Amino acid sequence: MQRLRSWRPQLNPIIVREVRTRMRGVRPYAVLTIFLVLMALTGLGIYQLMVQQARFGGTLLSAQVGQALFKGLAFVELLLVVFLAPALTSGAVSGEREQLTYDMLMATPLRPAQILWGKLVAALSYLLLLIFAAVPVFSVVLVFGGVELAALLKALALLVAATVCFGAVGLFCSALVHKTARATAVAYTLTLLLVGVPLLLASVWGQVTNPPGQAVPPAVLYLQPFSALLSVTTIAPTGDPALPFFGYGDPFSGLPLLNIFAVGVVHYGPAGPVVLPIYRATLLAYGLLTVLLCWAATHLVLPNRRWRPRWSDLGFLLLIVILLLVVYDARSWWHVQPPRPF
Amino acid sequence: MTPAIETIDLTRRYGRMVALDKLNLAVARGSIYGFIGPNGAGKTTTLRLLAGLLEPSAGEVRLMGQKLRIGGAQRLVGYMPDFFGVYDDLRVWEYLDFFARCYGIEAARRRRTVNELLALVDLEHKRMAYVQSLSRGMQQRLCLAHALVHDPPVLLLDEPASGLDPRARVELRELLRTLRDMGKTVLVSSHILSELAEVCTEIGIIDSGKMVVSGPVDAVRRQLEGGARLRLRVVRGQETAEATLRALVGEPAPELPRLRGVRYDPADERVLLVELEDSDEERQAALLTRLVQEGVVLSEFRTQAENLEELFLRLTAVD
Repeated sequence: MQRLRSWRPQLNPIIVREVRTRMRGVRPYAVLTIFLVLMALTGLGIYQLMVQQARFGGTLLSAQVGQALFKGLAFVELLLVVFLAPALTSGAVSGEREQLTYDMLMATPLRPAQILWGKLVAALSYLLLLIFAAVPVFSVVLVFGGVELAALLKALALLVAATVCFGAVGLFCSALVHKTARATAVAYTLTLLLVGVPLLLASVWGQVTNPPGQAVPPAVLYLQPFSALLSVTTIAPTGDPALPFFGYGDPFSGLPLLNIFAVGVVHYGPAGPVVLPIYRATLLAYGLLTVLLCWAATHLVLPNRRWRPRWSDLGFLLLIVILLLVVYDARSWWHVQPPRPF
Repeated sequence: MTPAIETIDLTRRYGRMVALDKLNLAVARGSIYGFIGPNGAGKTTTLRLLAGLLEPSAGEVRLMGQKLRIGGAQRLVGYMPDFFGVYDDLRVWEYLDFFARCYGIEAARRRRTVNELLALVDLEHKRMAYVQSLSRGMQQRLCLAHALVHDPPVLLLDEPASGLDPRARVELRELLRTLRDMGKTVLVSSHILSELAEVCTEIGIIDSGKMVVSGPVDAVRRQLEGGARLRLRVVRGQETAEATLRALVGEPAPELPRLRGVRYDPADERVLLVELEDSDEERQAALLTRLVQEGVVLSEFRTQAENLEELFLRLTAVD
C-alpha cells in the first residue's frame, strides 16, 4: 500500500490509452488523407486562379502567388480545424458515460483534471498531427515567396490556439451533457455562435450606430478566428517605394469570400488599406477561454459535489491571474483602435 | 477485529425519494457477503456509496475501520459496476495495464500484476485479443480482474453474474472462493438468491432501501424459518396418513407437533408436505411413531428446510 502511495511521475494513463487506440483502424488514416487531399486541392485551385488572372491581362508576380496560397491554405486549414476540434473532444467524457466506463474511471485515484488533461491532449495531438502533416503543403508558399517567416509563425500560433480553444469547447460540452450526440450538437452551436455572432454584429454595426457608419470596435471580433487569421494573412501596402508591387491590388489576392471577414479588420484610408492586428487579442482571449472552460469541465466531470472548492481550483486561479497580468501588462500590444475616419 | 465494511444509519435520498433508509451493515473481514434484494431495492446505491461514487445524505461508511471520505475509498476498494463497458480497440492486456497505470503502479510491477491477474481469471490465452471481441463471461472476468489491479482488501461486485450462462456462473463462484482464500472481503450483490446461496458466508436481504435481515447464512435461515416442513413419502396407507395428519391441523395433540397444513407435492402424488409450527425433533419423532402405529408405510420422513429462494420471496413479497 505504501509503495502504491509513493506516486512516481509517469505518463498520464488517459494519454497512453488514447494514443494506443487513436490510430487503430482505418478512420484516422482516412481523415488524415482527406485533410491533406483537401489542402493540396486548395493549393492547386488557388494557383490555377492566379494563372487565370494573369491570362486575362493582369500582372502576376511570384510573390502574389505566394501570398494568395498562404491566405487560402491558412483559411482552409483553420476551417477544418475549427470544425474537427469540437467533434474530436465532445465525446471525451460523455463517451465514457455512454460506454459505461465512467464509474470504473471515477473509482480510480485519477483526478478530474488528469482525466480532462489526458483527453484534451490526446484529441489535440491528433489535430496537431493534421496541422503538421500539412506543413509540406504549406511549404509551397516559400517556393513562391512574398510571405515573411514571422507571418507564417503567427498563422501557426493562431491555428494552434484555435485548435486548443475549440477543443476545450468540445471538452466542456462533453462534461456538461451526458450524451455524445447532444454534446456534439451543443459544441457546434457554441462554435457557430463564436464564429457567426461577431460577424453578424460587425456587418450591421455601421447601420445601428448613431451617427451611422462608425467603425466596428475590435473587441467585437476578438473571439472570431477567421477575422483574426485575416489580420495575420492580409499584407497591407507598406508605402515603401522599394516595394512598389505591394502598393496596389486587392488585399485579399482576388480570393473569394475573404472580404466577409474583413469588416472591422481591414480599414481603408487615404494611404490604402490598414490592417488591425486583432490576432494578438485573439491569442490572449483564447488562452483565457481555454483555461475557464477546462476549469468548469473539471467540476462538471465529478460524480457528486460538483461545485465544492477543490485544491485544483487554486492552480486554475493562479493560471487565470497570470494570464490577466499578461493581458494587463501587454495592453499596448494587443489593444488596438481603428484609424479615425478621414 | 473491526469489520471490513460498516455502515451506520447510511441514508441516500434522490430528491424526495429515499433510496436507502438508515442502513446498518457490518461485513466481517475475509467473508463473502451476499447483498440480495429485488430490482430497485437500493443495492447499487449502497455499492456506489461504499465505492465513494455517491455521497451519503446522512450516516457514515467505515472501510477497514476508517471513516470514508470523498475520494478515500479508491485504494481500499475494488469496484465492479453492474453495467460495465469496455474500451473499443483496446487489447485485453492493455485494458488491465490502463487501470494499473491509473493506480500509479510502476512499470515492472504492472507487468507482473497484469500477468498474474490474467492467470487468475483464466484469460492468458486472450491476452492479445481485443476486449470487445470477448464473450460476456470473459468480459465479466476481465472486469473483475480490473478491480483487483491495486490489490484492494475489499471488493464490491454489483450483479457480477447477470447475463452469464450456467458454466460462466459456476466459474464465477469458483473465482469468488479463490478471492476469499486470498483474504479478500467480497460484497456481492444480486437479485437472484440462488446465485449467491452456495458461495456466501453471510447474507443481507434489502428491500425498499431497508435491511430486512442480515448475518451468517445459517443464522439468517434459522432466524426466519420459525417452523419447519416435513416431507413424507407414503408407500402404503396414503388415505390413513392424510386423514391422521389433517385431523391434527387445528386440533393439536399432546406430544405431537402443531400442524399448520397438509398438502400433496404437485411433483409427486405419493409425497405429503406437512407445515409445522415448530421444529421440535421429539414431537416429529412422535408423529412418525403414530403414523407407523396406524399402519402407514413410509419410505421417507424428513424435515425439508425452506430454501433461501423461498425465504427471499416471502420477505420481499409485496403486501
